[in-house]
Amino acid sequence: MAIINQATRELQVKIVYYGPGKGGKTTNLEQIHAHVQNVQEKGKLVSLATSSDRTLFFDFLPIEAMAIKGFKTKFQLYTVPGQVIYNTTRQLVLRGVDGIVFVADSQYDKMAENVESFQNLQDNLKALKFEFAEIPYVLQFNKRDLPDAAPVEYMEFLLNNREVRVPSFTSVASQCEGVFEPLNMITRLLLNKFINQNAPKKA
Amino acid sequence: MPGLPPLIEEDVQTLDAALDELLRRSEASIALIIDKGGPVISQRGALENFDATTIAALAAGSFCATQAIAGRIGESGFANIYQQGEHHSLLFCDIDDNVLLIIIFKADISAGAIKYYAVSTVRQVSRQLQKARQRSPQGSMDLVSMDVADVSSIFKAKPRV
Repeated sequence: MAIINQATRELQVKIVYYGPGKGGKTTNLEQIHAHVQNVQEKGKLVSLATSSDRTLFFDFLPIEAMAIKGFKTKFQLYTVPGQVIYNTTRQLVLRGVDGIVFVADSQYDKMAENVESFQNLQDNLKALKFEFAEIPYVLQFNKRDLPDAAPVEYMEFLLNNREVRVPSFTSVASQCEGVFEPLNMITRLLLNKFINQNAPKKA
Repeated sequence: MPGLPPLIEEDVQTLDAALDELLRRSEASIALIIDKGGPVISQRGALENFDATTIAALAAGSFCATQAIAGRIGESGFANIYQQGEHHSLLFCDIDDNVLLIIIFKADISAGAIKYYAVSTVRQVSRQLQKARQRSPQGSMDLVSMDVADVSSIFKAKPRV
């Protein structure tokens, strides 16, 4: 749940990048950190990773932008460790989440891992007493440049076949293609959610 | 999960005053009130020497991880976590389900003294947050001045050369 400080006119939101191991979640944050412009303040990218480049606890990137006029909006971007054994850690990082970017690996042989990770996300949100349907999320099909990338339609069928379909994007995060679109979309979804949720109800 | 209630000026002033008093009495370097999800709620002290935003995110993760360990050894949780350093030490105090108090102090100050002063700060903060919760049980926001900017351009990549 976002933190609203009306005294200092500040809104803090938490966006988590979720998905299977080695799928490109950390790369997304690295690209955002390296290439973002026109934000008010960009913090340092903190990575708690093992020597083999796997995220151990989380990566963290704070960014400030004027998303709502008159309100300073602080975005906190996190990634989770993707590997199956780190599930407790993933639950900890999901605490207080406002929006999720699910980064799927487009390679054919990673489809089972994508589906498993997506199911794991739903299980973890349930364990934290979140309703999955109430958390805004978008899908990012990463690694589209690889020769064995599965067709987008197939990935949509596997991961985006619910009654309400969510926005999905293709990306090559290592080249910063398709990295900013999902971030802007999730920002839009979650800001709209706050406004709808908090709008005064008409009698 | 009921998160943190929206805070109005009175709340923020009370939290800031509680931290100021703690710093004055204990001579600690900085004190933060943070959400267990990572964001900072209130921060006081010599902030120019520390990156409070990142410390808060790491502290939240560390505290939550320790509580998860507590559950696995049959404890319901730890009220405090203390780490002693060569120059600075840390104390994390559990305030309620959502909020933590983080104190960073010079290593030559006794941890017992910091813990002693922190008790009343935890109580003050907890009381004020309960008040805020009662004020808006569902959480609400003053939308009069809320005007979402064109979100498609909040985050932009630098043009490629």
